[in-house]
Amino acid sequence: MNTVIQVQNIHKWFGSRKILDGITFDVCEGETLVIMGGSGCGKSTLLKILIGLLEPDEGGVLIFGDDMASVPEDQKNRIRKKFGMLFQGAALFNSLAVGENVALPLKEHTSLDENIVRIIVKVKLELVGLTGFESLKPYQISGGMKKRVALARAIALDPKIVFYDEPGAGLDPITARVIDHLIMDLTKKLKITSVVVTHEMKSAFRIADRMIVLHQGKVVACDTPDKIQNSTNPYVQQFIHGEIDGPISFQETREHYLKGILGENAES
Amino acid sequence: MIHLLHFLESIERRINPFFIEVARLTRLSQNFLYWTLVAPVIGKRGLRRHSFIEQLVFVGNESVFIMFLVAASVGAVLALQAAYQLKQFGAVLYTGALVSVSMTRELGPLVTAIVIAGRVGASVTAEIGTMKVQEEVDALTTMGIPPVPFLVVPRILAILIMLPCLTVLGNTIGIFGGFLIGVLGLGIEPAIYLHKSFDALVQKDIITGIAKSIVFALLIGIISTHKGLSVEGGAEGVGRATTQSVVLSIISIIISDCLCTGIFYYVFP
Repeated sequence: MNTVIQVQNIHKWFGSRKILDGITFDVCEGETLVIMGGSGCGKSTLLKILIGLLEPDEGGVLIFGDDMASVPEDQKNRIRKKFGMLFQGAALFNSLAVGENVALPLKEHTSLDENIVRIIVKVKLELVGLTGFESLKPYQISGGMKKRVALARAIALDPKIVFYDEPGAGLDPITARVIDHLIMDLTKKLKITSVVVTHEMKSAFRIADRMIVLHQGKVVACDTPDKIQNSTNPYVQQFIHGEIDGPISFQETREHYLKGILGENAES
Repeated sequence: MIHLLHFLESIERRINPFFIEVARLTRLSQNFLYWTLVAPVIGKRGLRRHSFIEQLVFVGNESVFIMFLVAASVGAVLALQAAYQLKQFGAVLYTGALVSVSMTRELGPLVTAIVIAGRVGASVTAEIGTMKVQEEVDALTTMGIPPVPFLVVPRILAILIMLPCLTVLGNTIGIFGGFLIGVLGLGIEPAIYLHKSFDALVQKDIITGIAKSIVFALLIGIISTHKGLSVEGGAEGVGRATTQSVVLSIISIIISDCLCTGIFYYVFP
């Protein structure tokens, strides 16, 4: 299978804090890759680097062989047309109606006739199950519908790759499941490569062909869902079962408190 | 020695953000010029016409009423204050001349710019800032649509075109406000008042006023869009940026007014 995204040894600092510490992985054509990890593990930063909103301090991202970090802005925009992105909060333009939102990338990047754009918008909205919603404004529809409209907008230009940022966040379990099905459906029907960032286990295991678990800016596991489920790695086990006790500690021990108060040299 | 180092460090900490801000403003101005002047020539899509027309209506048409109120009041106040002083020299007849010249040279452009900085500048910052917070600006970028020609250019151009128009309108209404006070309040003959008003007014007064309003428009446009694009941290950030945008716009309008007046006085006497 062809590799469409190559992530090569990415490092990223925010000030003196290291967020990503040498991340390397590949994404193959047509697969659904799920990136998991707890809050603050660097998932969102990684996604922003993948789509070119942030630049890595070291390393690079190759999308279809082009390095996002080193090319000029013009070239970046050309690469960006090859992928779509579903934002966590949908990020629809509130001043535009649903149909205009979906039509925006078509109007900006193609010189298609108005009527053809209208037909494409209809088809895309139908794909996400929202036929006839074109004229409503984003504030008139529910959160789940907004996500679906955003998905229709993300696939407006028939991209080869779609990135999803927490697709099920803030939705009820049924709507979240509908979105998951849409992702799987689109992957199959349109042969789209999907990269999904999430921390919702059920959804992750449902849709993933392959999974990556991040912890403190490093990849701690990268495998198929079955193997991840049976992984012996204590971080992975703690994470997928959502246990409080384990290598990722949330409760401070007596030693931690002493160190915090007295400094590194404190004797316990 | 250590105290001195600390002192220098604290100065650096205060000055650094200022230079960073200036650098960002300069970069945005360059981007604006590129997308307005260069991009259309080399075949890129610069201005979004639909959005530009929307902004023209918002900046222009919807500001007319508030401009009418403010300019008429300023003209009336100017006439009353001028008459109060001129009365002492028995020169009340010259009220019209004073109102028309100060309105076109100074107060028309200044007051219009301050009103637009408050009404339009604030809303531009709040709108773009909210879009930034709700990831809409990021969404534009990932769709391969650069935010500057899409969001910034139509807004700055609309202010750049409408502010001089509103200034001319403000000048006229201000002179009319003064005329009402002069005729109804001070009992000056209407024909004499108008004659004195337009006699004193020369072309240069009007042109310098409009030149100033173009400078003010650029300042309001660049500052309000820049503040909107640099919003960070949710609703609180939008509020803070909006306040900063208005305050910074008004301060820079007044300072640049001082500079412009100086230049017009000494360089083009």
